[in-house]
This record gives sequence, C-alpha cells and structure tokens, in this order.
Amino acid sequence: MGSRFAGLSYSASTFVAGLAILLGLWWFSTWALSLSPSTSQFASFGPGPAFKATWMMLENGHIQKAVWSSSYRLGAGLVIAIAVGVPIGILIGRSRRFRELSNSPFQLMRMISPLSWEPIAVIVFAGWDAAIIFLVAIAAVWPIMFATAAGLAKVDPSWFKVARNLGASPRQMVTEIIIPAIAFDVLTGIRLALGVAWMVLVPAEFLGVRSGLGYTIEDARESLEYDHLMAMLVVIGAMGYALDSACLTLIKRYSWHKQ
Amino acid sequence: MSATATNATNPRAAAQAAARSAVNWVVGMAIFLALWWLGGYFIGANPKTASFAGFGLIPTLEAFPALWQSGKLQAATLASGERLGAGMALAIAIGLPIGIIVGRSKFFRDLSNSGFQFVRMISPLSWTPIAVLVFSSWDGSIIFLVAIAAVWPVVFATAAGLAKVDPAWFKVARNLGANPVQMLNQIIMPAIAFDVFTGIRLALGVAWVVLVPAELLGVTSGLGYTIKDARETLSYDHLTAMVLTIGVIGYFLDSVCVGLIRRFSWHRGDA
Amino acid sequence: MRRRRNGSEESQSPLVHVYGCHCSSCESMPGRDDPITRLFPRDPEVLEGKPDPRLALNHDERFSAILGTGVSRRDLLRAGSLAALGSLMPTGATFAQEKKFDPTVRIGYLPITDAAALLVAHEMGFFKKNGIESAPPTLIRGWSPLVEAFASHRFNLAHMLIPIPIWMRYNNKFPIKITAWNHTNGSGIIVHKDAGINTPKDFGGKQFAVPFWYSIHNIISQKIMRDAGITPVIKPQDAKLAPNECNFIVLQPPDMPPALAAKSIHGYCVAEPFNALGELRASGKMLRMTGDVWKGHPCCVVVMHEADTQDPARAQWAQSVHNAIVEAQIHLFENREAMADMLSKDGKNYLPFPKEVVRRAMMLYQIPYPGNPDAIKNKDWGADRINFQGWPYRSATELVVSDLKRTVITGDAAFLAKLEPKFVADDLVNYTFIKNALDRNPKWKNDRSVPSTGDPFTRKEIVSL
Repeated sequence: MGSRFAGLSYSASTFVAGLAILLGLWWFSTWALSLSPSTSQFASFGPGPAFKATWMMLENGHIQKAVWSSSYRLGAGLVIAIAVGVPIGILIGRSRRFRELSNSPFQLMRMISPLSWEPIAVIVFAGWDAAIIFLVAIAAVWPIMFATAAGLAKVDPSWFKVARNLGASPRQMVTEIIIPAIAFDVLTGIRLALGVAWMVLVPAEFLGVRSGLGYTIEDARESLEYDHLMAMLVVIGAMGYALDSACLTLIKRYSWHKQ
Repeated sequence: MSATATNATNPRAAAQAAARSAVNWVVGMAIFLALWWLGGYFIGANPKTASFAGFGLIPTLEAFPALWQSGKLQAATLASGERLGAGMALAIAIGLPIGIIVGRSKFFRDLSNSGFQFVRMISPLSWTPIAVLVFSSWDGSIIFLVAIAAVWPVVFATAAGLAKVDPAWFKVARNLGANPVQMLNQIIMPAIAFDVFTGIRLALGVAWVVLVPAELLGVTSGLGYTIKDARETLSYDHLTAMVLTIGVIGYFLDSVCVGLIRRFSWHRGDA
Repeated sequence: MRRRRNGSEESQSPLVHVYGCHCSSCESMPGRDDPITRLFPRDPEVLEGKPDPRLALNHDERFSAILGTGVSRRDLLRAGSLAALGSLMPTGATFAQEKKFDPTVRIGYLPITDAAALLVAHEMGFFKKNGIESAPPTLIRGWSPLVEAFASHRFNLAHMLIPIPIWMRYNNKFPIKITAWNHTNGSGIIVHKDAGINTPKDFGGKQFAVPFWYSIHNIISQKIMRDAGITPVIKPQDAKLAPNECNFIVLQPPDMPPALAAKSIHGYCVAEPFNALGELRASGKMLRMTGDVWKGHPCCVVVMHEADTQDPARAQWAQSVHNAIVEAQIHLFENREAMADMLSKDGKNYLPFPKEVVRRAMMLYQIPYPGNPDAIKNKDWGADRINFQGWPYRSATELVVSDLKRTVITGDAAFLAKLEPKFVADDLVNYTFIKNALDRNPKWKNDRSVPSTGDPFTRKEIVSL
C-alpha cells in the first residue's frame, strides 16, 4: 500500500518536473528571442503572456467553445474512420485476395497528404463541418485499417479452424475471436490515427467555419497576437496529451493477454 | 505469414502464389483506376461542377507529359526531396540518440515523458510563425517543420526497441569489459534496427503529410508549391497529377522502408 | 411537368414531348417543327421566344444560343443517366449543386478590409431594405477555397482580386462575371524601418513578398519596380541576384510581418489591414500607398455567376443586390469610423482585428504621412487610404489586362498572350446592374476616387510612379 502511494507520488512528481523543465526551456528561448531588437516585439511568445492570455480566454469562454467545436469534428472524423477502417482492415487480414487486390491502391492513397484532398472536400460537401470531418477521417482511416490488418495477421489461424469446427457462425467468429484478439492492435491504430487526425485538424479548420482550435489559432496568427497563439498551442498540447493518455490506458487494459 | 514458410519448401506453389499476387495487383489497380475514372465522369457530366473536370483520370494522365516536358515535375520532386531528406536526416540525427537515452535511462524517461508528450501533440503547422521568425531562410523553416513532426516517431520507436532488448545482454557485455561505444555498436544498434526502421517508416509518413502545407512558406519550388499554384489557377488536372506523383513517391519510399525492416527482422522469427 | 394553361383541356400528361415525338397531340399541333414549341407548346412565354425559367433541369445560355431552347437533349440524357447512377450513390446531397435558384444572398469573404462593402450591406440591413434575404457571410481563409466554394455554387456573391475572374473565365472557361467594384485603393508597400529602403531603387538584390500571384498587389509592385529600373524575378531564396533584380515570393498575409522582422523579406505589398498591422506591430514603414501610384486603382471586385446576371427572372434580384451594395458603399465612406469599429473584433468580429488596426487601415491618410513623407507623393489626388465606389471603369480593366501580360508569375499564362484588353472589358464585366444602382444613388460621386469633373463613368487611367 505504501509502495503504491510512493509509486504514484513518484510519477506525479516526475510529471510535474518534466513540465517544469519544458516551461523553463520555453521561457529561456523567448528571452533569447527578445534580446534581438528587431524580433523583440515577438516576446509575446513567452510563457508569461501566454498564461495571461489563457486565463483571459478561459474567462470569456473562447477556449471552451473552440475545444467543443474541434472535439466534435475530431470525434466525428474518428468515428467514421473506425467505422470504415476496422471492417476493411478485418477484410484485408482475412482475405488474401482482397489484400493483394487493394494493397497498392490503398498504399498510394495513404501517402497522399490529407490536405491535398481539400479542394475535393470543398467541392463535394455542402457543409464546411462535413468537409473538415472528411479531411480528418481520410487522414485517420489508414493507421486504423493497417493496424487492424496487422493485428489480424498475428492471430493464430488455427483458432479459426477450431471455431469453424465447433460450428461458429461468421458473426460469432467476428465477435468472439477476431475482436478480442485484435483489440490491442486496433487501439494502437486508433492512437496513431488520433495523432494524425490531431495534426490535420488545425489546418483543416481554415475552411469556412467560425469556431474551433484551428480557427482560433489562425485568428491569433492573422492579428499577430502571439500570446493568444501560444495560449492555443498550450491548450492543444494539453488536450492532445490527455486524449493520447486515454488511448494508452485503454491499450494497457487490453494488453493483459500479451504478456 | 505462415503461408510463405510452407511455400519456401514448395517452389512450384511459390511461383503460383507470386503469379496470382501479380495478377491481383494488376486487377486491383485497374479497379482503382476505373473508380477514379467514374468519379471524374460524374464531375464532368454535371454542368455545375464541370469546371472541376480536371480531377478526373484522363485529364490527370494527360497533364503528365506537359509537366514532364516543362521540367516542372523533376524540379519540384528534387526541391521537395531535398527538404524532406534534410528534415528526415535531422529528425533521425536528433531522435535516435534521444530515443536511446530514453530507453536506457529510466530517470531521463520519467523526467522527459510529460514534456515530450505535450510538445508532440502540438500540430506541427502551428509552429509556422515561430519557424518564420527564427529562421531567415525559407528552406530552413520548412525543414524545421518537417523535422519537428518526424522526430517523435523516431524517438519513441527507438525507445520501444531498446525496451525489448534483453537486459541480460547488457550485463554480459559489461562483464566482458565492453566500453560504451562497443555496447552501442555491437549490442544496441543491431537489436533496435528493426524498431528504428519502423519508426523511420512512420516518421516518413508524417513528414509527407506536413511537407505539402509547409511548402506554402515563401518558396517557389517543390511539390507543395506546385500543387498550390495549380490550385490557384484552377488547373485541377495539374493538381491531381502532382498529388498522384506524391502518392507514387511516398509509396516507393515506404516500400524501401518495408524492405529494410524485413531485412532486419530475420532474428525476430515473425515477419 | 405540364402546367394547366388558361383552361386548356389537353391531358395532364407528366411526359415532356421532346424532339421527334409523333404522338397524336404533337402531330396535330401548329409550329411542330419549331424547337421551342416542341417542348412546351402551350406556354405562351416560351412561345414568345423566351427561355423557360422554370425549367428545373438546366438553364444554360450557351445551349439557348445554339439550340434555341434552354434544355438540350444531351442534358436530358445526362440527367437521366445521372439519376440512374445517382440512385446507386449513398446520398444525393453530395456535389453541392444548385438545384433551384435560391434568392438568399450567400456571401463568401476573406478577412481583409476589401470585403467591407459586402459585409456592411448584410450587417446594416441594406439587402433587407431592398427586399433580399441574406445569409451571414462566411469567412474563408484563402483565395483558393473561396474560388472553389464559389465555383461549386456554395456562394452566389463574393469579392475576388481582379485578376482571379480573368483567370477563371479565360483560362478555365468558368462562367463568371464581374458586376461591380468592391473598393479602390486600400493597399500599400511596407518595408522594415531599419532596412534602409527609401525608394523602389533600393529593392535591388532584395526579397519581396506578395499575397498571390494573380493580384493587383503583384501587378502594381512589379510596375513600380520596373519603373525604377529593377527587374522582378522569381528565383530560389539563395540564388544570386543581380544588383538590379528583386526576387518575388508568395506569402500568406499573416506570415508577412514576422518574415519582415526576421529579415527573410525586405518588403511586401498586401491589402489592408496587414499594412496597418505591419506598421503597428512589426516595425514596418509604409514605403508607398498603391493608391498614390495608380489613381483609384481596382483591387477586389464583386463577382457573380454568369447565369445569375443573364437570367431575366433573376434580373430584379441582381438589381436589388447591387442597389444594396452601392448603398453600403455610400454608408461606408460617410461613416468610416463607426463601420471600422463594427467590422473589428471589438464590434461584430467580421475581421478578427482590434479596432485600432481596422481604423488605421480604413482611415489613416495624413499628408505628410507619419513616418515617411514620401509615402504619399501626389497630394492633390484627393485619395483616401481606401475608397468605396463601385463603377468598374473600362479603362482600368484594360490596363489590368495589359499589365498582367507583363507581370512575372509562375503558372501557365499562355492564354494571356491572346487576350485583348478591350474584349475583356466588354465580355467579363456586366455594367447593367451597377449602372442602374449608381443612377439611383447619386451620392456615390462624393467618393473621392470618382472623377469630379466630366463624365463620372469614364476616366483616363493616371499612373504616377
């Protein structure tokens, strides 16, 4: 019991210490920037102004609104990516013919920068939210698809034989055998997808919406309000960190059988 | 893939499998091209979106000769390739040592984890104003953006690879009197090669994603710039041709990575 | 699809009797071979020779001219096959296409003061006053998405840099029309205070940024440089430049002030309020106002789809839109400060900048100009930092086209060589609606960039470098 407490306080203190070091580095580099007279105006990049701005934006609700809008788009995009990516990934893993048929086109499409899809998104989708969700989904679907396929490849094929011998229906095979076995890899894929989707969300929100993290960053960038910009970066970093840790916890939970 | 193991013992079956997979490759690409053509047909047929007909398969293919002859394709590929290469080199040069330290030293890992995770989740393109301020050269800013996106997969994959190394090996090596350099060369590097290349493969994927929007920064060359130019003149056939080029190059580089990974996975027993 | 006409008693058949129909009612009809009567033989308007505006399928001027009817057989076939294939697609709401004419004005704009006229027309209720519904304008962050959204009919009214519709119409054959000017002037050249650049000659061997190749900023900057003996070029940043060459690059406006501060560029030319921002926040100095070089030059223009300008059923709508725009422009130059505050972040947040910035961008035109008396050389021109008048002078359009031919850009400009300036002034611009709107609102002549003597609708272009 005591050791568990010691363990928790150790990880808490390293967590805080790590962020403190980051803060120190941040303060130092901004201070170095402010020494040169021509870039001294950009001292508003520093931690002090940024935290002041964060507080102010929390007070007038900007941050909450931005987080809510972006979360909605991110969530919708990820849900679509999972809904499309997992079944196709299972298909790739199970059917060699499908894998060989689809591998090259998928690899080709995967390497296209998601933001190159922007003109198509603008033309095809009637709503801006839909266009952004499309961009997020198309970035996120590939890691999920391939991680699912990789997870399936690790499944011992004899399990399928046994299940078939025991008379399992395809649906039972999916729910009883495939899903639990690949949960670990699918969650790893979702974690990767989250990373990419998070990266794509900010530039994607340059399209015609009036809310969101990317929108607020661009606003700050355009009016040269770098303290607001850094405040948004802090929020984005924190939120991304939280989401990633959530994924990691889920992965750990499903990895019991891997040891 | 247990199938390949059995095929190794049966050359005729192996040849059949290879032929079948080649046929499937062709058929798969054909279906892909057909769907693309269909999409382009739809866009062209609807008079309201007819000006976007350049997205279709035929106009895109027709754009390639023009782009090749005017040298645009080669110049853009070269320029982007240089930036991507420099960014990746920087990411590996920084990421590899840090990853090894993270893997070897628990203290460093615990201390740096929160900071790294925080910075990692900031979208690389948000760093643009800082990149512009700090670097007086546009290429420098772009390389910085690519590197800052690509370094994280390298760091974490290296650390993960190191974590899989049996600690007993280090004990043995130390007992045999190996100095740190020898430990690095003889033990660490070969052991983590598989994971490092996996990390590089992921980093490459991320770097490609970032390169196109990064090249909006003040340069007048490169794949991202040429795409932007095509978009601004509504030359959607050129745009799609360049996007396809990116896809092809990315696919090629990714396959190289996969090949390297396979080569170093001999000792893993799985593929 | 048939409508009852004046108590006629033929059957309410849902079929359209197309060319070649030999049914009994078509056989017995007079004028059977006339292409128009074949389609809707009972509709008096169509019989009169007018194209049928209620045709939901497709009203296309090009086909009307060639085939004599607003609907071509090819379109019917296309529609049919599309419907068949479309039923296989997951949803029909893809391809944001215009199904029927929607009289709500949908505006797309970029967050620059150039958009002021359209924004004010919506916000201050000028559209409503003229009987038009308008949706809240949509903020777009770049010219390309705006062009794409406009081209896919997401917007029916927008402002664009004047070279963009030239590109869209003559290079891409997109049916777009310039129907008015949004504003004149409103741009300038900013250099770093300490860069030692006091005249355009000092740009030799330096880097210069513009927001978009196809912009008046690019055209005017290159004009100014050429006149000072400097050759504009496009080369990599580290390429060696001759002492009389100036390297042009494209940068997004928000990146210009930091780039200026980091000395990656030595100057830029962009629309307000980024000049004001550069002055206030990035040690920038105004080298020259573009409105002081080319008197009353166009920058952003109002664009509409060609069909909206030519369909007689929409003429009343288009006229009301332009009445509203002119009234908004007059309101703008009569109430600069109030409108600047309204547009800013401290007002309705159309432009995400604080009100000091927007005020400076719309109003500061002191002579001599603070910080650099040479910024305004032509003191008697009576210009302002930005002027709001809507008449699209032909002479200006012609000068833009001829200047474009000499402007260095990347991208394929072969079509420009064959473009006749006079033809563009006739073909690209629609003068009807704006002329009527201006005639109704004589106060427009009070704007200082309108010639005060002689015919206010013609002028000679004055360029003084």
